[in-house]
Amino acid sequence: MRLHTASALALGLLLSVMPALAHHSFAMFDSSKTTTLVGTVTDFQWTNPHSYIEMDVPNDSGGVKHWSVEMGSPSILQPGGWKHTTLKTGDKVTVVLNPLKNGDPGGLLVQANLPDGRKLGNGPGRGPAKQ
Amino acid sequence: MPRNNIPTKTAALLLFGLTALAQSSLAQTQPDLSGVWSPSRATGPGAPAPPTPILLKAPYKEPYEARRALERAATARGEQLAAPGSLCSPYGMPTMMQVAVYPMELIQTPKQVTIVAEAFSEVRRIYLGKTQISFDDVSPGYYGHSVGRWEGDTLVVDTIGVKPNVKGYQGMPHSDDMRITERIRRPSAKTLHDQITIEDPKVLEKPVTYTLVYALVPDYEMVEFVCENNREYVDEKGVVRMRLGGSGK
Repeated sequence: MRLHTASALALGLLLSVMPALAHHSFAMFDSSKTTTLVGTVTDFQWTNPHSYIEMDVPNDSGGVKHWSVEMGSPSILQPGGWKHTTLKTGDKVTVVLNPLKNGDPGGLLVQANLPDGRKLGNGPGRGPAKQ
Repeated sequence: MPRNNIPTKTAALLLFGLTALAQSSLAQTQPDLSGVWSPSRATGPGAPAPPTPILLKAPYKEPYEARRALERAATARGEQLAAPGSLCSPYGMPTMMQVAVYPMELIQTPKQVTIVAEAFSEVRRIYLGKTQISFDDVSPGYYGHSVGRWEGDTLVVDTIGVKPNVKGYQGMPHSDDMRITERIRRPSAKTLHDQITIEDPKVLEKPVTYTLVYALVPDYEMVEFVCENNREYVDEKGVVRMRLGGSGK
């Protein structure tokens, strides 16, 4: 809950200074909720206008559910420590995201806990949570 | 007998020195605006004046206000209506001059200022010391035709020929006759201001003026921005949605 409040405040600050949104608003994501996923990276797309983590998350019935995790653009992510090699297929990650409001298995990255122990956010004003 | 006794060589040197001095003092009044500049905000005594209101004439006023109302309603519902960026279209002038948190690179040479915006890799060119051409001679486009001249430490840029379908400041409409005047200056080594005035008598009751503020980002290398992986799409209601990726398996 503390994570949610902090990120929502930070996002509000970020949006308040944005003269124009680069690509889209964050309206489709529910910034009042966070979902934590523990799973395996199936693809890491270091692309514009957004980067994506594609991941499979084990479910209770023994199968997996696939999730798409939207991130900022490389320009936004780089200052926070991300590189095109930060994740690779097969990596085990824990991802905190703001889920899509329509219930589809997707969301906006808040924080990723990497295999090497680092915790990276999603560009200026968005995570990781203060430790 | 010559009318003065200054040897020709000395006179030439004197002339050269005076010319150099003149060029030097000229250069001092024309600062180098080059650098990578990131959107910022100014506060305190040096802060620019707040934006002037957008006052539209009929028949532009009603549809603009209706669209803004739709946008506000969509935001209240937690949705976003389609915008150029969500379709990966360029922003064009003048909106490209500040897009979200993305920087722009300004490259100044004696005859041209080139501005490269990182978001969507938009480029505009400002030709210095040239007279603006007529509206008829500009092929309408996203960036129009820009000429610049120096007024002291301020680069004054005149732009015409922006297509009417290029959304303007705050989504405001404009006609073929829109004229953008920018006054770009560097009030401090680390700060850049671009005062933008939009004149369009067909559309606007009064010119609209607002000022963009930037902070210098030393040693920044611009990042490539090719819009190759656009997951957003616009549904039948004009609302932006996110397309999910496959499992990759």
